[in-house]
Amino acid sequence: MLRSRPLHVFLFASTVPPLALHAQGAPFQTPGMPVVAGGDASGQTTRFSSEFNPAISFVLDGLATWEDVDGSDSGLDLELRAGELGLTAWVDPRAWAYGIVVFTEDEVALEEGAVQFTGLGGHRVLRAGRFFVDFGKQMQAHEHELRTIERPAVLRAYLGAELAGDGVQFDDWHALGDATVMRYSVGVFQSLLGESEEEDGVPHAVDAEQKDLDELGYTARLTAFTEVGDAGTLQFGASARALPDYAFELDNGASATGLSSTVWGVDLTYGWVDATNTRRFTTGLEWLFDTGENGADVDDQGTPLDPSDDTLDVHDGTVGGYYAFADYAWSAQRSAGIQHSWLELPEAGEPTLAELDLYYTHGLSEYGRLRVGLTFVDAEDGADGVVAALQYTNVIGAHGHAVNF
Amino acid sequence: MQLQRLLRALAAACALAVASHAADKLRVVTTLPDLADIARRIGGERVEVTALIKGTENLHAVVAKPSMLVALSRADVYVQVGLSLESSWAPGLLESARNAALAPGKPGFVNGSDGWEALDVPADLSRKGGDLHPQGNPHLNLSPRGGRHLAARILAGLVANDPAGRAAYEKAHAAYAVELDAAEARWKEAAQKLRGVAVATYHQEFEYLARETGIEIVGHVELKPGVPPTPAHIVELVDALRAKQARLVLTAAWSNNRQVAQVAEQTGARVVELPVAVSSAKGADTWIGMMDQIHARLVDALAQPPRPR
Repeated sequence: MLRSRPLHVFLFASTVPPLALHAQGAPFQTPGMPVVAGGDASGQTTRFSSEFNPAISFVLDGLATWEDVDGSDSGLDLELRAGELGLTAWVDPRAWAYGIVVFTEDEVALEEGAVQFTGLGGHRVLRAGRFFVDFGKQMQAHEHELRTIERPAVLRAYLGAELAGDGVQFDDWHALGDATVMRYSVGVFQSLLGESEEEDGVPHAVDAEQKDLDELGYTARLTAFTEVGDAGTLQFGASARALPDYAFELDNGASATGLSSTVWGVDLTYGWVDATNTRRFTTGLEWLFDTGENGADVDDQGTPLDPSDDTLDVHDGTVGGYYAFADYAWSAQRSAGIQHSWLELPEAGEPTLAELDLYYTHGLSEYGRLRVGLTFVDAEDGADGVVAALQYTNVIGAHGHAVNF
Repeated sequence: MQLQRLLRALAAACALAVASHAADKLRVVTTLPDLADIARRIGGERVEVTALIKGTENLHAVVAKPSMLVALSRADVYVQVGLSLESSWAPGLLESARNAALAPGKPGFVNGSDGWEALDVPADLSRKGGDLHPQGNPHLNLSPRGGRHLAARILAGLVANDPAGRAAYEKAHAAYAVELDAAEARWKEAAQKLRGVAVATYHQEFEYLARETGIEIVGHVELKPGVPPTPAHIVELVDALRAKQARLVLTAAWSNNRQVAQVAEQTGARVVELPVAVSSAKGADTWIGMMDQIHARLVDALAQPPRPR
């Protein structure tokens, strides 16, 4: 095992002094052992102490769906879509950290685990670790926090159902006058491939484990948030995600390497709230362009219908799409909305896909929410259909992500 | 060279403008307009006060605006009621504003409820009890004694942040206390007419008012704080109100007043919408004015003949 570990990792690990990280050591210490709490000047916890435990939360996101889509199995599906464990705590006077572990039917995954360092002065924040990228209005949010049951089709297609990266992000905001703020962020990540289901015989995107600087993934966002009259706010932004070097692979070993693509997005959101903060209207639009080598089709070369000699046909071009929504809350507990998403798929012929969502949300309490959704799918390749869904989401404990405006 | 000189002059002018503004006024940002009113009374010319929300807003569900972030980032002093009244929105704003002077524990962070003996401190901290406030009922700004308490906390906060203004602040505070003496005498007189009157309230926001006036709160329209009523709860409440011959149902502009009207309809009680923050109603432009309005509306409602059921 040791031989397979990269040399620089071994060197780094062997030179890290055994300091800090209390409450992990043996009950009785001898020189050279890991330091336990109280073993140096600052330790204040023991392995059985609960005083400095983090805020803990668990989110249950349950879904009942009935779908009738051409080419798919019809019927009812009841599932606990995800259970999400969250831990958050300040780790020193200038930094707080959090971890989000998600349990799904197929896997247990660390979706986010990051430290937010706030000690740079001003409004600057440096975040390091694994976290959802800052792109547009939705990609920072986990699925259970969306206004709709699923993320809009254009985001799923161009960025993934969820998009987390291992890396570093710098974030800052400035006031422009008394009622406008402008925020920007830049991030650099080891990998920025979005979450998507791998299917047999379908090309999947992969990333190299070792990269040069110019092969890393990058994100950038610039957004301004301002007030419109007494009751309105307007936010607009521009975002980018760049993949300078990645590859597509097929199960038979065929691959296309050295690919690059960039997704650009612009967004505009208007919010209105009445004088009592009860009735609210929100509408928004996000338009995306996916440029470069952004998709791949299977080329059934050689023996027809024999996947072993198939090759990849990379799509190189620009496709675009958008989602637009409007929702209205007429009480603190009840809201309804409509969302439309349309996009060109990064495939041969660039077929289009459209989804129309109607949704109603009923807040049961501060922690519980029930949502009914109806989605009409209109795909140019013929996979039309309708999906009806009932979503129940409950938050146990103090829950939050590091979502920025 | 000329450009360099011009830039230097501009930078110096900006620095001077900022410095002179900071030297002129202590920038105070409050969550509620109630706190802003009291801070203005005590701070006078030495302070520049901004309230983050308007009196009409449901302070449990505030929508953050850019101006709030900007105001907090520039503030010297932040004043909140506390007892988790603002917990759904103010901590997030403070975190984003990243103004070290306003961090809890620093002189710039003034918690108005410090030293206040809270009612309804939950014995069991569980969401079975609804949207509970762990340290107790936070609506002390609706207590007839609340203004005096908040004024003392704000005085201490201003002095801590601007010791040079101590004499001016103490003088203004003393003058305000005299006004409070007169106002409290008026409210005590009104309370004579309110003592023992059975009422329902939509939310648990008038508990301090009830304690001071002797009003008896029979029940609440909400099932639990922050949780809308169920039909069964409405039936139980209506029975209880009828048994106690309740005269009034007290509510605020942001409550679910359709359900309040339903309860009033079934019990013959009269609905009284009370201002729950400064500037939330006509005549409630100051904290004392708001409390005058609250007492006047209650007394007026009682003077009306009972509604037929």
